[in-house]
Amino acid sequence: MDGRGVLCYNPLMPIIEVKNVSYSYPLRDGVRLKAIKNLSLSIEEGEYVALVGMNGSGKSTLAKLLNGLFEPASGDILIDGINTKDEKQIFEIRKRVGMVFQNPDNQTVATIIEDDVAFGPENIGVAREEIVERVDEALRLVNMSEYRARTASKLSGGQKQRVAIAGVLAMRPKIIIFDESTSMLDPIGRKEVMQVAKTLNESGITVINITHNMEETAEATRVIALRHGRLALDGTPKEVFASSILEDCGLKLPPARQIATELKAFGLDAEDVIDEKGLEEGICRLLK
Amino acid sequence: MFKDVSFGQYYPINSPVHRLDARVKLLSVILFVVAIFFVKSYFGFMLTAALILFIILLARLPIVSVLKSVRGILLIVLITAILNLFLIKDGEVLVQWEIFVITKGGVHTTIKMVLRLVLLISGVSLLSLTTTPVQLADGIESLMSPLKLIKVPVRDIAMVMSIALRFIPTLFEETVKIMNAQKARGASIDTGSIVQRVRSLVPVLIPLFVNSFRRADELAFAMDARCYNATDKRTKMKKATLRFADFVAAFLILAFFAVILLERYYFPTVGINIDAKIFGGLL
Amino acid sequence: MSVVEIKNLSFVYSKKTPYETRALDDVSLTIEEGEFVGIVGATGSGKSTLIQHLNGLIRIQDKKRSSITINGMSLSDKKYLKKVRFDVGMVFQYPEYQLFEDTVAKDIAFGPKNMKLSKEEVDERVKRAMEVVGLDYATFAERSPFDLSGGEKRRAAIAGVIAMQPQVLILDEPVAGLDPVGREEILTLVQKLRREVSKTVLMVSHNMDDIARLATRIIVLKDGRVVADGTPKEVFISGKIEETGLELPLAARIAKNLKARGFDIGDAITPDELVAGVRRAMEAKHV
Repeated sequence: MDGRGVLCYNPLMPIIEVKNVSYSYPLRDGVRLKAIKNLSLSIEEGEYVALVGMNGSGKSTLAKLLNGLFEPASGDILIDGINTKDEKQIFEIRKRVGMVFQNPDNQTVATIIEDDVAFGPENIGVAREEIVERVDEALRLVNMSEYRARTASKLSGGQKQRVAIAGVLAMRPKIIIFDESTSMLDPIGRKEVMQVAKTLNESGITVINITHNMEETAEATRVIALRHGRLALDGTPKEVFASSILEDCGLKLPPARQIATELKAFGLDAEDVIDEKGLEEGICRLLK
Repeated sequence: MFKDVSFGQYYPINSPVHRLDARVKLLSVILFVVAIFFVKSYFGFMLTAALILFIILLARLPIVSVLKSVRGILLIVLITAILNLFLIKDGEVLVQWEIFVITKGGVHTTIKMVLRLVLLISGVSLLSLTTTPVQLADGIESLMSPLKLIKVPVRDIAMVMSIALRFIPTLFEETVKIMNAQKARGASIDTGSIVQRVRSLVPVLIPLFVNSFRRADELAFAMDARCYNATDKRTKMKKATLRFADFVAAFLILAFFAVILLERYYFPTVGINIDAKIFGGLL
Repeated sequence: MSVVEIKNLSFVYSKKTPYETRALDDVSLTIEEGEFVGIVGATGSGKSTLIQHLNGLIRIQDKKRSSITINGMSLSDKKYLKKVRFDVGMVFQYPEYQLFEDTVAKDIAFGPKNMKLSKEEVDERVKRAMEVVGLDYATFAERSPFDLSGGEKRRAAIAGVIAMQPQVLILDEPVAGLDPVGREEILTLVQKLRREVSKTVLMVSHNMDDIARLATRIIVLKDGRVVADGTPKEVFISGKIEETGLELPLAARIAKNLKARGFDIGDAITPDELVAGVRRAMEAKHV
């Protein structure tokens, strides 16, 4: 290994650092909506974060701040040590932070799948042979290789989103943000996308999943809840589900946990249950 | 209502025509469009039709897909045909009723005009049926690239075109959805008088615009997030290199063009004689 | 008399083209007044083609073989088209994308106005619809629908449909894209609508937990055919759901897994039933 590289690498530096960030949107007649208020948090490389909160809590705004689509009005955001305010480095940030949006139809640029996946690398001027390599790899990772020469419009919602993920992967990002990417999908599509997210996280990519689905939330290793643009909750799913202000954040317990809570009276350790598997095990222990 | 719109829809198979370089196809279509205005004899139209048919077979396209594009302009063809039929007064009078006069010359001009329009649209639709929007945009970009020297934003123009083409089916789908939703609230889109129907477009158009702007917004974010405009040295995954087949195609279309011109200006009698042989006294 | 009667309904998209697809294949069913029917099926199973037939948005293709009657009115007969559209209210997926007027009240009035009601009656219905969906008239009537929050927009759009006071209400994925609290509000609203406005409700949903809890009857579609039809319990216990590639409700999945592991807590499809089943099993254990 290159000795210089080792020296530069600082294992203690988080991959995302949000420091006292505020941001507001112009509404009309000079009125501004404060979407993010003095927010600070940091995320380590390789984490799987569920970013939750009610509609309008600032989740999507935060996502757009993280890859420089918006610039903080005050405060700083560092991605891999690079400040998102540094205009010269903006594309370095966008290369590192990939985003998969909600509506698959509104993020495909090209008609043919492989052309769409190539869009990102083409934009940053990757050499032709390498683009082909990257497109191959990206489509393989999301299991869409056999569709590469087809048109995107004939795919299912889940497949379209997997193509969108491939488009992001072709940029070789360190972080992928899913901005409600499963909300328009049927349960099968949702599972496909979540499976890909999990596999990518296991390969070392930091995943931030913005979601309203509490079952997806339970799959994360860390849950961050926003409320009115402020950090409301931050912890493991277990810690967050135990919080008394969960409903104030527009959230509900995942269905399995709700049932577990009702079985508390029979001696079930509800605090331990976050998902279906946990509930099943809990009931088994009760009945043994 | 919009279910059958197929003009501009790529027909996804792999044929020799599909594989041709988009630039060659674009130039060929331009040449074809010019050529068809030089065609004057039925013989010439037959040659043109034969060429179109040959390309359709080679591209393994179902004839229906081409005919559908023609159907899109049927109304225009019909109106022009009727106008021609009654307005052109040339040669033997066939029918006379009140002020309406149909002449033999008028009939022939009309038939030829219809043939010309139908063949024209068929030829142009072959381009969009066998070429993806991205290839088309890339082709146009490449053909227009000399304009970069005089600061024309060729790349952005090409991008805008390809996105517009890409969103045509999406917007049609959206229009159908909104129309259905308003019809479900009793809007008279498929019932009622013409005036009612026109007025009832407002509840369709407003959401369509609002939603299109929202889509455009989201698309802009998605494109920015994927580093659009990161560098002037944008690369291309698919480099269009001219292959042997492209030269053959270029040769064929040039040959066609030459034949049409020769037939029109140097050997005008050939066409007339063949026409006479086939149609005899009808001419 | 049944509210909805469908006989031998088939439908083919893009007939005689390379894209030809059979969306419905000989579907026959009747729906009685007061039912809450959950319509489930994978994407492309024919759900949306089926519901759009019910208010004439999609016309019957083969009028000789197929027929649909709503309250005794045959949809093959063009003269009933308008009347049926007012009798069968349709809330599409993401209905807020169809708002178009400059005020909420005007938008909601669109349907009643198309019914050619008197101005007083229209106003009355707008007020009533807003009240039912929980949008305060004084606060929201004059606001632009485009300035509302996501949940408010959706309720305004639903109000636009129920202002026509349809006897049958069809909802296509009414909670798609909402946050958990918003979801719950809309589902509660749907139940309220069934009590106060439209006695018969058809709801298309991918969420089996919602369907198990709310519906009195489930119709399962696969490849354009009805493959199961019955009470939630019958359908979810029959094993037909898994065959169509859909998931059972959470409670049913857990009950099934427990049974496989030797703990029979009986059939359960809702959380309440699962809890009751566990309670029974616990009591039996202690006896």
